[in-house]
Amino acid sequence: MRATSFILYSPSYIIRKGLISIIDKMHDAHITNQADSFEEIPELIETKETDFLLLDTNILKSTNLFKEIKNKYGKNQLIAISNSSNNQNLSDFAEIINLTDSQAEILKKLNQLSGNKNKLDTAPNIPDEISKREADILKEIALGYSNKEIADKLFISVHTVVTHRKNITRKLGIKTAPGLTIYAIINKIIDINDTEAN
Amino acid sequence: MILTKNIKMADVIHMNYHTLSVLNRFGIVLGFGDKTIEETCKEKNVDVNFFLEILNAFIDKDYFPKKHLQTFSVGLITEYLSKTHAFYHQVKVPEIESLINEMVDSCYTQKDTLILLKRFFNDYKQELLNHTQREEEVVYPYTLSIEKAFNQEKIDTSIIELMETYSIDIFKTEHDDIEEKLYDLKNIIIKYLPQPKDVRLCNRLIQELFILEQDLNDHSRIEDKVLVPKIREMEKMIHQRFAKY
Repeated sequence: MRATSFILYSPSYIIRKGLISIIDKMHDAHITNQADSFEEIPELIETKETDFLLLDTNILKSTNLFKEIKNKYGKNQLIAISNSSNNQNLSDFAEIINLTDSQAEILKKLNQLSGNKNKLDTAPNIPDEISKREADILKEIALGYSNKEIADKLFISVHTVVTHRKNITRKLGIKTAPGLTIYAIINKIIDINDTEAN
Repeated sequence: MILTKNIKMADVIHMNYHTLSVLNRFGIVLGFGDKTIEETCKEKNVDVNFFLEILNAFIDKDYFPKKHLQTFSVGLITEYLSKTHAFYHQVKVPEIESLINEMVDSCYTQKDTLILLKRFFNDYKQELLNHTQREEEVVYPYTLSIEKAFNQEKIDTSIIELMETYSIDIFKTEHDDIEEKLYDLKNIIIKYLPQPKDVRLCNRLIQELFILEQDLNDHSRIEDKVLVPKIREMEKMIHQRFAKY
């Protein structure tokens, strides 16, 4: 199971702070970024891969911005923060959090969404250890080969190499090639002398 | 708790001793007696409002008055940022280095792995150095020129030429992610490194890495959310004013 990430937008400090403290109570969930104004939002949704956006309903006032959000994120990723009991025009959102909701209600809603997401994840049951094939790729990375070279060597496409790399990084929590090299040596996937030669 | 100028300096340290490194960057050192924040700042010739905002943002990661921070001068902001660079190179990095060296020296069974770790950190150190040098030699001087031009009555053509060759948005795109290697290092130690007999060194190393990471985050937040928007706004105004001539 992968950690669930949220981006939070609300002009109200009190509301942001409140939601942060509730999300902190969830297992393996966190807010990666937050915004208090419209201007900050495009940058946030551009750079970060995020599971859910928690948005104050005043976002609907900026039609263009909301259109952009809908282009990037599916309905099932959008959660509205609403302070009115009239939720008629919120059909673009998968879930609605009302300011009058209790903590338990909010947690229930968020956990449910987070649980659904994990069911949809492509590889839910693969253990965190890397597969045999991934170990082959890791070995080549650790030896210092580029994606292109690895693809040629193993008769696969560069795209496949990149996908494997992403999965390795996600499973191990190591992003850089030098970091992966150390992992490979510690786990005897390559020998320390192999790297010296390179 | 949000600090205000009448709080005693000593209480700040009692509340959060990590603030010591921030205090040092302003030239403030221990031995405060009963002096308040305001009195200490006055004595050391430090802008108390700027000091308070920087300190509060450092202590509470949810407290970030970016609009207020943007009102301070570029000189003040970049001076603080340069001081944090000096702190990394003169204090934190050497501390971490000496811990790694101690680990290498005191270990016999897995020296090879630790030497790798050491080399990895060396590469990181070089990367960090390049990163901060670029900021100090190119980016900060640029922001200071922008501020100077902004404050002058007449817009000089030289600043327009400068803005044609560089802009704060170029900095934003070339501003690489300096935290990646640090993240890897932490995970390798936390998850994979066979633990040496003496676990204390490893524990201390992890602690130091977390402190460095947090400080770097605080630092880049000031760059991304205070300096960059402030300069971007100034660039825009300069262009507008120049177009009017």
